[in-house]
Amino acid sequence: MTNSSIAKSRLARASTFWRNYSRNKGALFALIFLVVLVLAAVFANYLFPGDVEAPNLGVEMMPPSSSAILGTDYLGRDQLALIVFGARTSLIVAFAAGGLLAVVGTLAGLMAGYYGGKMDGLIMRCADVFLTIPVLPLILVIVALTTPNLLNVMFAIGLTGWPVMARVVRSDSLALMKREFIEIERVMGASSRRILFKHLLPNQLNSIFVYASLSIPAVILTEAALEFLGLTPLSVSWGFMLNVSIDYWIRGTWWMSFFPGFAIFITALAFYFVSEGLKEALNPKLKRRRESLAVQIAEQKK
Amino acid sequence: MVDVFLGLPSYIVKRSLVAIGLVIIVGTLNFAILHLAPGGPETVFLNPRITPAAKALILKQYGLDKPIQEQYFLYLVGIVTGKWGLSYFYTEPAFDVIAARVPATLLLMVPSLILTVIVGILMGIVSVRRPYTMLDRFLSSFAFFFYSMPVFWLGFILLTVFAVFLRVLPAGGMTSITTSGFDVLDYLQHLILPVVTLTLINLANFSLLVRSSMIEVLDQNYIMTARGKGLSERLVFYRHALRNGLLPTVTMLGLFVGSILTGAILTETVFSWPGLGSLTFDSITRRDYPVVLALFFIFSILTIFSNLITDIVYGVLDPRITYD
Repeated sequence: MTNSSIAKSRLARASTFWRNYSRNKGALFALIFLVVLVLAAVFANYLFPGDVEAPNLGVEMMPPSSSAILGTDYLGRDQLALIVFGARTSLIVAFAAGGLLAVVGTLAGLMAGYYGGKMDGLIMRCADVFLTIPVLPLILVIVALTTPNLLNVMFAIGLTGWPVMARVVRSDSLALMKREFIEIERVMGASSRRILFKHLLPNQLNSIFVYASLSIPAVILTEAALEFLGLTPLSVSWGFMLNVSIDYWIRGTWWMSFFPGFAIFITALAFYFVSEGLKEALNPKLKRRRESLAVQIAEQKK
Repeated sequence: MVDVFLGLPSYIVKRSLVAIGLVIIVGTLNFAILHLAPGGPETVFLNPRITPAAKALILKQYGLDKPIQEQYFLYLVGIVTGKWGLSYFYTEPAFDVIAARVPATLLLMVPSLILTVIVGILMGIVSVRRPYTMLDRFLSSFAFFFYSMPVFWLGFILLTVFAVFLRVLPAGGMTSITTSGFDVLDYLQHLILPVVTLTLINLANFSLLVRSSMIEVLDQNYIMTARGKGLSERLVFYRHALRNGLLPTVTMLGLFVGSILTGAILTETVFSWPGLGSLTFDSITRRDYPVVLALFFIFSILTIFSNLITDIVYGVLDPRITYD
């Protein structure tokens, strides 16, 4: 095949993917929303110039109005600006912790599936232990005992979330190991590394991708819960905005808890829809079967 | 296939041994995490300006003067004998501190668990009786929307609407200050919002699961056979399909029991419910290690054994499962 025809077939594949993906309108809107959110987070400095964290005396806890569309918080700061800046925290943790979870889980699952035997037993028992410990309290303890900063939050979430990914990758690897093309490679004396990373990994990249995107909403909700509980005193984040609102909601300052929480909710929901769209587009056989999302969530919980 | 009734006892023994091994590993991990942390337990509750003699006395009282191996050994022995050490904060046995909070958490979790399972299963059944209709789509999206919500946010919204704006329900807590003793009506009023919150958030776990597993079951050959021999759709659905369709909910129930603490921490914080969840959170922030260790341990054991029981029950319900 010439270079140009390879490029053409790639382009064709990409356009098929996009056609399948955009057929799911929910997934399409969710993707647009997330792209806008990422752009807003990246360019937050330009959208809201000046120090958004500085208190504004005299306009504390104002309900939504034309000057502050989402109202102001207990220090008189514009909530819209805080939420846009808070998106940075949420998205950074979501992608970093989600990525860490996917990498650790994938490597563990590949090793377990490829080597089998004792290695498999060791890795999967390790996964069992992690699945046994109540995750949120464990993360709370890790974060409370180490310096509570963004990096530790990401590590805590990433390192407690890998076992589910490992199980998925392991079972896919086990199935692949029985296939003929892997057997032929082994007979021909291919190295472990070749089989692991040239065959096992590329053949399940799609499902790894889908599961990673499916785990992101859980990461977002966990990170928000940690900040809501006030253990990570990050200046601007959705969870911490909710934490602050605990002291005020009884006075009826609904906008102080409603908008940050809504941001968490809608972002988590958008990632679910995107992962559903990805799955349908990458795996056309599953197309139009909405119940599969529920099955995957149930599977993920196991 | 292994004979179920021959294989089951040995399977139970094997699984129980694994569960006990897991308990020991988890206990060791808990101990290690909390003791290897920077500072260690003694930096937490001692005034740095305390005299060395007083410090030695307090360390001795809490057993922190002993070498770490001995502390670990005593910790393992203590778990079995119910001696979980003294709480640094309450200066009472950790066992008593925790035991005092158990009823509140049960009073919250048992009703919400029952409600979640029943409503979830019913929603799943209604959905799948008329799949791909408006009703089905509505019920599925309804469950899924709440599933993606932060539990503490939904709690806030309900509190703001019903306690602040409408003033029809109390704003958190388990009882009113004015009531003395156990007043059922007062308790129920305080219970409504947290139970509704927990139920709405968790519905999807059961409703979507029942729906998807029933769709799968209804597609199978034995259902076609049942229809083919002229049974009514009702009979096919409730007598033949439902039994197998509900199997996955057993697994979900087992997982669910294990995740109760996570739900409890957030819900009890929002609703100022005086249970194990708020105790967990408070003890972590106070660095009250004996209580944290004990709580962790209890909930790990709860998870391990609910998984064990789930596996066994599943095996009894589904004869296709073999034990090896």
